[in-house]
Amino acid sequence: MLDLIRKDMILQKKTLPFMLLFLFIYLFVNVSTSWVAIVFCIVIIMNAFETDETSSANLLLNSLPYTRKEIVSSKYIGALFFIFLTLLPIFIGNWMIHGEIMHWKVLLFITSIVMGFISFAFPFSYLFKSKYLLIGSGAVFVIYMVTLRFIPDLNDRVREVVQTVLSLDNSLFYFTIILSVALLYVLSWILSIRIYSRKVF
Amino acid sequence: MESVIELQHVYKAFKGFELKDLSISVKKGFVTGFIGGNGAGKSTTIKLIMNLLQPDSGTISIFGMDLKKNEKEIKQRIGFVFDSNIFYENITLTEMKEIIKPAYRKWDDSLFDQYVDMFELPLKKNLKTFSKGMKMKASLTIALSHHAELIIMDEPTSGLDPIFRSELLDILRNLIQNGERTIFFSTHITTDLDRIADYITFIHNGQHIFTKEYYKIEEEFAIVKGGPNLLDRDTEQEFIGIRKTNHGFRALTANKQRIENIFGDTVIIEKPTLEDIMLYTKKGEERDARSYS
Repeated sequence: MLDLIRKDMILQKKTLPFMLLFLFIYLFVNVSTSWVAIVFCIVIIMNAFETDETSSANLLLNSLPYTRKEIVSSKYIGALFFIFLTLLPIFIGNWMIHGEIMHWKVLLFITSIVMGFISFAFPFSYLFKSKYLLIGSGAVFVIYMVTLRFIPDLNDRVREVVQTVLSLDNSLFYFTIILSVALLYVLSWILSIRIYSRKVF
Repeated sequence: MESVIELQHVYKAFKGFELKDLSISVKKGFVTGFIGGNGAGKSTTIKLIMNLLQPDSGTISIFGMDLKKNEKEIKQRIGFVFDSNIFYENITLTEMKEIIKPAYRKWDDSLFDQYVDMFELPLKKNLKTFSKGMKMKASLTIALSHHAELIIMDEPTSGLDPIFRSELLDILRNLIQNGERTIFFSTHITTDLDRIADYITFIHNGQHIFTKEYYKIEEEFAIVKGGPNLLDRDTEQEFIGIRKTNHGFRALTANKQRIENIFGDTVIIEKPTLEDIMLYTKKGEERDARSYS
């Protein structure tokens, strides 16, 4: 399975150095670090995902001695690896350029957002195609607006929940975040395996 | 005789197409040619064997093991070639090798180099710059570099020039010299099979028509030519398919001996080609369809 992650690295070998270059430029112009990190993580991870979305890549991977479970799992483990790969240069860059060490809470925040995004994006893309993600998010927005008509104080309620979580005792709060993101990720992982096992090539 | 691939009562239905009760066995140590027209179900069958599709019912076993339960173990021992390019386009052959090599326990770099030399493949060029023939050679190189016991190919010769097709057939023939290796490949260029196939498996419209030793086909099947007056409702039943012209008929039989007994010297009997067999089977089916409707 690690071979499959290595494969993603080989395939991205040419784009990764460019990404690194852009990353440093962004760091110099002082845009929000978290924002840059989140965008880069998602772009790299989805790029790796897209390369394997063609029918020929699916034909190849499934003809090699890998199970479908392994093929999906490699994407989920690989995503964590790519997060690490993006955060490391950002961490070092921030330290070298701005002389500041990133707080672990910021790193946790970035990782949670990216993992949360992946948890929805991967099963969705396995079910449809990643190129429909934009349309999908549009649909979610419409559903949200419709729900707002029936539950007018939805935004307030969400804010309330967030407030309650935030007001939790610090360690309990972070524990809750880590646990729920991890749970979401694992559930999404299982769901993706189920979707992918039924695919026809 | 030992079977390497064994399909038993396999059904698979898609919209507008189905494989019906397909039972095929492929013998170890031989070359089996898999023939059938476009849309007969050749690629679907190969995909079922590679576990790219799952059958709706029926069982598939390879090397005597159930495909569902031993997928990884089985695929370790298979080399595959598809009719379309399945490699990533933006990398070199060396990089492609680096991706595939760790998947196989028995990968052999010296074997890989040997085929790369033989096929004169460039290692440092992007795969997307390869011609169709080169892509096929690259596919074959990868398929042959891990000491596979079973080689499965879907239309490997389509789109190749005659010289390379001939080279390819020589290579395949050399591969099975020791009797341990089995080759199963689909094609619609039936003349390729004259030189190499020991067995022929023929499917038509998702149904298995026959699997026979090549030489037996020539013994059993025959093209029969005769005058129009020889055909009537009864004698027509003796043939798989008939083609009538103003001057007479040309028909295919699966029982040469019987035709000789019935018609004697009044007809001319010739050896059929595989193409004849495919063509007349289709014709016969159209006739049957008409008589039922």
